[in-house]
Amino acid sequence: MNTEKSWTFWTVFSSTFLTIFLAEMGDKTQLATLLISAESQSPWIVFAGAATALISTSLLGVLIGYWLARRLSPKTLDLFVALLLLFITGLLINDIIS
Amino acid sequence: MDWQLFGLSFVTVFLAEIGDKSQIAAIALGGSSNSPRAVFFGSITALILASFLGVIAGGSIAQILPTKVLKAIAAIGFALMALRLLWPDLEEN
Repeated sequence: MNTEKSWTFWTVFSSTFLTIFLAEMGDKTQLATLLISAESQSPWIVFAGAATALISTSLLGVLIGYWLARRLSPKTLDLFVALLLLFITGLLINDIIS
Repeated sequence: MDWQLFGLSFVTVFLAEIGDKSQIAAIALGGSSNSPRAVFFGSITALILASFLGVIAGGSIAQILPTKVLKAIAAIGFALMALRLLWPDLEEN
């Protein structure tokens, strides 16, 4: 039971990590961070500011998802989540083409 | 500590990320997963590492890494997760 639970944690952790990391490479947040740090010459303060912002937006995202999950039926939720994931796929394809 | 610079970075990145695909991904994965905490930690690790690379690599990152290829892999990953939710039976066969 315990090992099964931790396995789930690391599976969810690594799949979330991989997809979001790959999606963010060369994205506007990364570009903004490097532009500000190049101009300011204090890269660590810029990094701290960016990291705090990313933690806040992720926390908000997960909380919204958790809140929605408790209000929708499992079937509706699956459909809704699938549509969101396809929407992200579309955004990524748009990034690749442009 | 230069709080003005800290604030500028925070506000810029915060506004850029609100409603962006990584936050949408956090909403989708956080809602569908039975472990929202794992989604949160996976998400912030990825985002922090990506912005860390942005800071240390400066403008050269796009030249070093084939970002379009990485994005394409991510797109396939998200599409597969969506298909698995729409047709859960496929996994059993």
